[in-house]
Amino acid sequence: MTTSRDLPRADRRKFLKGAALTGAAALSPAAAPAQAAPPRADLKASAPGPKLVAAETLPPGKDPVNQTSSGGEFMVDVLKALDFDYLAMNCASSFRGIHEAIVNYGGNKPEILTCPHEEIAVHMAQGYAKMEGKPIAMMCHGTVGLQHAAMALYNSWCDRVPVYVMIGNIIEADKRAPGVEWVHSAIDPAAIVRDFVKWDDQPASLQHFAESAVRAYKVATTPPMGPVLLSLDAELQENPIADRAKLRIPKVTKVVPPVADPGALAEAAKLLANAENPVIVCDRLARTPAGMARLVEFAETLQCAVIDQGGRMNFPTRHPLNQTFRARAAISQADVVLGIEMNDFYGALNAFHDRIVRTTYPVRKGPAKTISLGNRDLYLKSNYQDFGRLADVDLAIAGDGEASLPLLTDQVRRLVDEVRRSAYQARGEKLAKARLAMVEQAKSDATIGWDASPITTARMCAEVYAQIKDEDWSLVGNAIRNSWPQRLWNFDKSHRWNGQSGGAGVGYNAPASVGAALANKRHGRLTVAFGGDGDLMFVPSTLWTAAHHRIPLLYIVHNNRAYHQEYMYLVAMAARLGRGIDRSEIGTTIADPHVDYATVARGFGVHGEGPISDPAELAPALKRALAVVKSGQPALIDVVTDPR
Amino acid sequence: MDASFVRVFAAGLFALALAGLAFAEEPAGDAANGKQVYLMARCFTCHGRVGQGGGFNYPVPALAAIELPVEAFQAFLREPPNDMPAFSTAILSDKDAADMWAWLHSLPGRKPTKDFPLLNQ
Ligand code: HEC
Ligand SMILES: Cc1ncc(C[n+]2csc(CCOP(=O)(O)OP(=O)(O)O)c2C)c(N)n1
Ligand SMILES: [Mg+2]
Repeated sequence: MTTSRDLPRADRRKFLKGAALTGAAALSPAAAPAQAAPPRADLKASAPGPKLVAAETLPPGKDPVNQTSSGGEFMVDVLKALDFDYLAMNCASSFRGIHEAIVNYGGNKPEILTCPHEEIAVHMAQGYAKMEGKPIAMMCHGTVGLQHAAMALYNSWCDRVPVYVMIGNIIEADKRAPGVEWVHSAIDPAAIVRDFVKWDDQPASLQHFAESAVRAYKVATTPPMGPVLLSLDAELQENPIADRAKLRIPKVTKVVPPVADPGALAEAAKLLANAENPVIVCDRLARTPAGMARLVEFAETLQCAVIDQGGRMNFPTRHPLNQTFRARAAISQADVVLGIEMNDFYGALNAFHDRIVRTTYPVRKGPAKTISLGNRDLYLKSNYQDFGRLADVDLAIAGDGEASLPLLTDQVRRLVDEVRRSAYQARGEKLAKARLAMVEQAKSDATIGWDASPITTARMCAEVYAQIKDEDWSLVGNAIRNSWPQRLWNFDKSHRWNGQSGGAGVGYNAPASVGAALANKRHGRLTVAFGGDGDLMFVPSTLWTAAHHRIPLLYIVHNNRAYHQEYMYLVAMAARLGRGIDRSEIGTTIADPHVDYATVARGFGVHGEGPISDPAELAPALKRALAVVKSGQPALIDVVTDPR
Repeated sequence: MDASFVRVFAAGLFALALAGLAFAEEPAGDAANGKQVYLMARCFTCHGRVGQGGGFNYPVPALAAIELPVEAFQAFLREPPNDMPAFSTAILSDKDAADMWAWLHSLPGRKPTKDFPLLNQ
């Protein structure tokens, strides 16, 4: 609060109240014409008028009406040093100081993304960070705004994604205007999300802000990554800077992710090299485009099965060693399983049955050694149980998966002699055959109900792929349990896929897709996303943000007219009890009235197609929509589909 | 639900016997009624409206052109071994189950994939 104490005794908030009471009449003759005149481009650069000079020079006790700097300006300097491309936000008075500074002092850098809901802003940041490999900033009211943002922060937390949140707060009670400013203030606003942000602070001075801002960035982007939060006092944002020369922005240095212990990697390499059927399972492994290439090299060295749980774009879908859709079979035969950057290794190794008496048993038929490699063991919190059940591993290696893979590959290579090489080759060929059989099975399954209406998800996906496969496409969102793209499309580059919500908080898909599309825009990629109707119902105004910021994206609504996952659960519950299965629609369906998503889209300024229930109409609609997307705008297609 | 193998097995045998009796009287099964039952019993929510399969806690098998014998089909409904909920006679009669089987059995099912250019891209 140094700056507020340095102010002439005049209280800025008292001044505001006074101005409101006396209105324009209080304005000095010098200031009045400037208010009435149209904005002049040179205004900021012009010499201070008599009022400004007076504000600077009058003795304490006077009530200044102008200022020449704001703490927000320094904050903007810090944000620029952190190199944020964007700031996603829904405007709020608790951060009006920094908001003004970004717009006028910063020249709208970081560029503001106007979001109609704080959950949209955070999810956009989540989608963007995964695609671009770099966080953007998000800002909201410290109370009501953060409450809206909370679920998206939880998704980002579970998804290990850096999201840089700043909230507004008014710390000093006597500085709060009666009424709204009291309900919008808190002594510890971050408390509501502290269980699922990595680090937070409420700086007490501008220098404190600078240091915490750099620390927050560092913490957020160090694996395991996660959201961080800074609470910005309104006085600190709005009051003049006492002495800019004294303020220092620390160097922004990123933490180099740790390579695992070479001895432990050598032990893992030995187990893997000696194994008859080693299997790799991974989830949030690839942090950068290098991740996929490194995993391919490692898997090819071993010629072993890879199961990609899809938290990131880890492994090419058409790689002969990709056994994702026969994970159970692969693990059941495994004698060594290596889990890399897994969150739920237990879930990969064990089967679970959702019955009245819940049962679980190991998938592996025989004894197998299990090895975990990743950042997960380095950082956990207690309350939310996103860490999953304890996996019973033989060798737990802490270290960054992507960073450690080259050394691990090297260690395995040293153990590969001629005998092993030919055994590995034979293993690889067997796996390639098994994968082809799996693909053939998928294609065969996809033929069932090909011409049905509502449209099958298999047909919907095949039609979409036909239209995008020759472009540099990027699939950044998916409907629940829609595995057709991963089963049949060629995901061969690191931007082909962007992972999922993390916390299974519905309402992620539309805004995170728009965030990823924003990142893809600068690379000229064609962004495509599927998303549930229920998901879009949470945050339909995301579409307006896409239209307003000209974010090209083809959004395909998988419209099964239901919260279908829950619909099935209700059927299952009713069946258990032998009653009322025909009442399972209550509270689970989105019908009566049906939602016309194309009209909703048009209302938000987005090109809308549909509802489409005849599969033959899909291709022409997709072509029209893609023409819009290629012109730089978003488009939505409402496809009336069968449940899954 | 008690998931013990013995119970599942015993109940399966019992259902099998019942199904055998039912079919002695009605061998054909009314496919038109079967389709209605399939929708009414909400089988479609997990297995798809045309029996193409789906996803519940894990992938749900397709039922179109079902090859499972009708007796085994009925036994499965009464005491399914894994995540599928059981459908007791309180909500699904043996006749309705048999009709459903007749309809599922009559569905075209899978086709040769080479005839689908969109699946070979
Ligand atoms: C809540 C979801 C759900 C519902 C509702 C449901 N099923 Fe299933 N069904 C499943 C799952 C999951 C499986 C796979 C079970 C397993 O793992 O053994 C399955 C398996 C089956 C099988 C065995 C198929 C095979 O090839 O092994 C049959 C037959 C079947 N279901 C028929 C039905 C019928 C008929 C209905 C309606 C009366 C129905 N199901 C309703 C989820 C469901
Ligand atoms: C915020 C939130 N609310 C509720 C749920 C429970 N839930 C899980 S899946 C689901 C259905 C979502 O509907 P939709 O996106 O249309 O997907 P569908 O299951 O219909 O394919 C719901 C409501 C959740 N996971 N998150
Ligand atoms: Mg839905």
